[in-house]
Amino acid sequence: MKTTYQWLKDFVEIKIPPEELADKLTMAGLEVVSLEKKGDDFVFEIEITSNRPDWLSVSGIAREVAAITGGKLKNAPVFSAPRKIPGRKIAGLSIEVGIEDKKDCPIYLARILRNVKVGPSPEWIKKRLELVGCRSINNVVDITNYVLFESGEPLHAFDLDKLASGKITVRRAKDKEKLLTIDGAENSLLPENLVIADSNRAVAVAGVMGGKESEVDFGTKHILLEAALFNPVIIRRSRQLLGKTTEASYRFERGVDPEAPERASRRAAQLLKDLCGAEDAGMAARGSAGRKTVTVDLDTGYLSRILGVCLGCAQAKKILLGLGFKVKLKAKNVLRVEVPSFRQDVKQPVDLIEEIARIYGYEKIPNSLPLITPDPDTGSRREIISEIKNLLVGLGLSEAITYSLVDRKGLKDAGLESETAPLSVMNPLSREQEVLRPGLALGLGRAVSFNLKQKQEYVPLFEIANVFKSGKEPEEKLALGIALSGTKSFFSGEGRVHDPASFLHLKGILEAVFSKLKLTGYEFVNLPAGRVEIFLHKNKIGSMLELGRQALDALEIKNHKVFICELFLEKVFSCALPDKKFISLPKYPGITRDISFVLKEEVSVESVIASIKENGGSLLREVKVADYYRGKQIPAGFRGLTLSCFYASAERTLTEKEIQPSHDLACEFLSRRFEVKLR
Amino acid sequence: MDIDSLQAQVKNDLEKVSSPEALEEVRVKYLGRKGVVAELTGSIPGIPVQERGEFGRKVNAFKSGLHELFAKKEESLKDGEALRGENIIDIGMPGIAQQVGTLHPLTRITDEICSVFSRMGFSVAEGPEVETEYNNFTGLNIPLEHPSREAFDTFYLKDYDKKLLRSHTSPAQVRIMQEKKPPLAVVVPGRVYRPDAVDASHSFMFHQIEGLMVGEGIKFSDLKGVLETFAKAIFGEGIKMRFRPHFFPFTEPSAEVDISCIICGGKGCSVCGRKGWLEILGSGMVHPNVFKHVAIDADKYSGFAFGMGVERIAMLKYGINDIRLFFENDLRFLRQF
Repeated sequence: MKTTYQWLKDFVEIKIPPEELADKLTMAGLEVVSLEKKGDDFVFEIEITSNRPDWLSVSGIAREVAAITGGKLKNAPVFSAPRKIPGRKIAGLSIEVGIEDKKDCPIYLARILRNVKVGPSPEWIKKRLELVGCRSINNVVDITNYVLFESGEPLHAFDLDKLASGKITVRRAKDKEKLLTIDGAENSLLPENLVIADSNRAVAVAGVMGGKESEVDFGTKHILLEAALFNPVIIRRSRQLLGKTTEASYRFERGVDPEAPERASRRAAQLLKDLCGAEDAGMAARGSAGRKTVTVDLDTGYLSRILGVCLGCAQAKKILLGLGFKVKLKAKNVLRVEVPSFRQDVKQPVDLIEEIARIYGYEKIPNSLPLITPDPDTGSRREIISEIKNLLVGLGLSEAITYSLVDRKGLKDAGLESETAPLSVMNPLSREQEVLRPGLALGLGRAVSFNLKQKQEYVPLFEIANVFKSGKEPEEKLALGIALSGTKSFFSGEGRVHDPASFLHLKGILEAVFSKLKLTGYEFVNLPAGRVEIFLHKNKIGSMLELGRQALDALEIKNHKVFICELFLEKVFSCALPDKKFISLPKYPGITRDISFVLKEEVSVESVIASIKENGGSLLREVKVADYYRGKQIPAGFRGLTLSCFYASAERTLTEKEIQPSHDLACEFLSRRFEVKLR
Repeated sequence: MDIDSLQAQVKNDLEKVSSPEALEEVRVKYLGRKGVVAELTGSIPGIPVQERGEFGRKVNAFKSGLHELFAKKEESLKDGEALRGENIIDIGMPGIAQQVGTLHPLTRITDEICSVFSRMGFSVAEGPEVETEYNNFTGLNIPLEHPSREAFDTFYLKDYDKKLLRSHTSPAQVRIMQEKKPPLAVVVPGRVYRPDAVDASHSFMFHQIEGLMVGEGIKFSDLKGVLETFAKAIFGEGIKMRFRPHFFPFTEPSAEVDISCIICGGKGCSVCGRKGWLEILGSGMVHPNVFKHVAIDADKYSGFAFGMGVERIAMLKYGINDIRLFFENDLRFLRQF
């Protein structure tokens, strides 16, 4: 809402310069977003919060200025009480006002002004309108706009001769009723639109915009001046349907002071008489602005307790009086406050507390620190997530955050759709925000693609975020996603080493995570088509995959492999041990013996290790892969492996002699069962 | 055995030593369990009694002398190595270590902010991203048909009744108060969604942190104090704050909280729109209607709530000028934090 320094001065005494006024207004809740000098005046642009429609007028802001600065209010006539409202007919004129539904339109005033001389507006009106961003049309239209800005009540002028005589009705539009509005648009209306109609047709979209055919132009002789109140909800829906927002609709939506129509009509009539030579021929009205007086009792003890500063009755009363409230002392420390008609937002004591606090000044309220009783529940879920993230960071991965809303096409093109339909959104702004992602692969894949295009040789990323699924209820689950692509290159003691990303790198990272969380009972299972599934205590918790040709093309990734794993974390949280318990260290040293052999590629190392463990005797504690190679000495279709067997006893130090037979047995078993060649 | 001739032998042996391994061999030869000194000591019983004392003293002297010689030889071997030019270290060569990864800057800021509140006694909780219309609006005193709704424009889900993607983290307030009764102090970080076109300062998906404290005798001055502590912890002791009256349907009185512009110090620049102040938080005392919806007695309890945009705070603190960078995940960006 724009207003000007000089215009405000019409309503209130101002003794401080514009900059200081702007600052005071901002600190009282009317945020001045810009202050510009224009000629001999200053334009304030104020952001008005939606609960204060009474600030959508110069007189409303002036009232605020008076309360904040202590300046005296002027121009009482605009604020004086409304006179009694006349009947629905005007004597001597066949104009009758009808309202179809009082809930849509509580009051409609139609004033007739005759012999209007329509012409350009005087400079002072043109200038003020232009300063607040309103175009000058002609003196009649300008006066209706001028009074709108002054009082907050939108007015509309119809060319009386262009209206079919008889009844003016406020009604719902008929389905597909046509109306050409003053912006030149041909509108097809719906019953959600409220219209002003004469006996033949709709002549205006009520509370939003007038019709072109009945607009006031330089040929107009007599006008019908409308001042009304419309239901905020219907105006909002009506203007949403038409896709138009006007100064009028903006105010009706937020709520106009019920006493404003009558005052505004009188004020406009006065201006029309003075500036256009019009004759006031009387007013017809329908409905009533009557409303119940709202009274709120405020206990100043409560006021002080809520704010944390001691404010007495006298102080509170002074502030409220300055804002236009009527205040009486009801009991000791209790004020009985009568809420004026323009403050529809004040309903409870806290609303008054806010008024008092903001005029008193938030900065005058001291700062204090409350006593907080911390909650002993430590939130282990967040701690586990934090441990996982920090571990992954330590392993060299960078955390990514990718969009949860994605395009359906992206999922389809990359072959990453899930079996069930994804959760989709009703009003996406664009196709990029259509569906909630069922997994993290698309987001991570896109991030990998972006980084590869920036010539990164190695891209290690992870994300922990929710993924979504439809079901009886929408489902949201926390998942860990890891993406590796490219070749890691680093220094060892010998020189530069190149280590291309692979499934085993993903496995290594996950094993580190499981180990950190003290999780056992997990399994990695090979599936065809280059997929690996991950199980925890026999429940599937995730999978690893290498992106195929389709996905790589869709993601525009060339000449690089991308390995992605996704893990659902709920099961992980429930299995992770919160407390670590000490396991005693072995008392007696053990012996390690290696077995080197050549193994057929199809034979899984897990099965070899499992069978050695089975047949290695009770002293065999652990069997691990110590080394592997596929060098020149290894025949094709085979790989070289060295297994390390660790023997130990809890009762004594083992000797070589003791374990030799077991170890030989294991080696023999190995040769026979798996046809390995020992080395 | 003649100790004097042994001295000469030791000298000879040591001269031939040119490596630590060889030195160790010589040491064992003389000082080992079956070495020369052990033999000497073992031969004492075979010596006439009167001569034992002197012999013993000579053996001990010999032994200490040996220790000294060996130590000297060890030193000279080390120096010799340096002089010979072996094991030269050029410390300018790249260090050998695992490359360390990075947490996302939004995670860092969220953790930092939650940690500040944790130190004050707040616990940290999370809420679902898919919410009910009730929790996102009605329970927060936001009427469904009101212009104030536009500030919280939302994505509604298809095929479900009144389910949406939360447009702010405030619904968590409703959930927490339904589950826990006062006193309580919680912060809730999380992703939120608004149908906004994406540009340098807007994104349809972003992050917020919500705070809520409810108890007996909680005051507006407490809100100010808690937020001042937070602002100083995140932006530094020298930061100034101001509380400006504002409007939120779920708090009354409400305030927007500004900090003095960290770029220009309050003089006015392009970052703060020449105002000298940067808005970082919305806050206020919990509205009695909100308490009513969760069956908390507004006569007995009062509380305050606040909310902030994490991207905004991260952009101010780290000097990032484009919100889209957070979701592009360019490693050159991520690795700066």
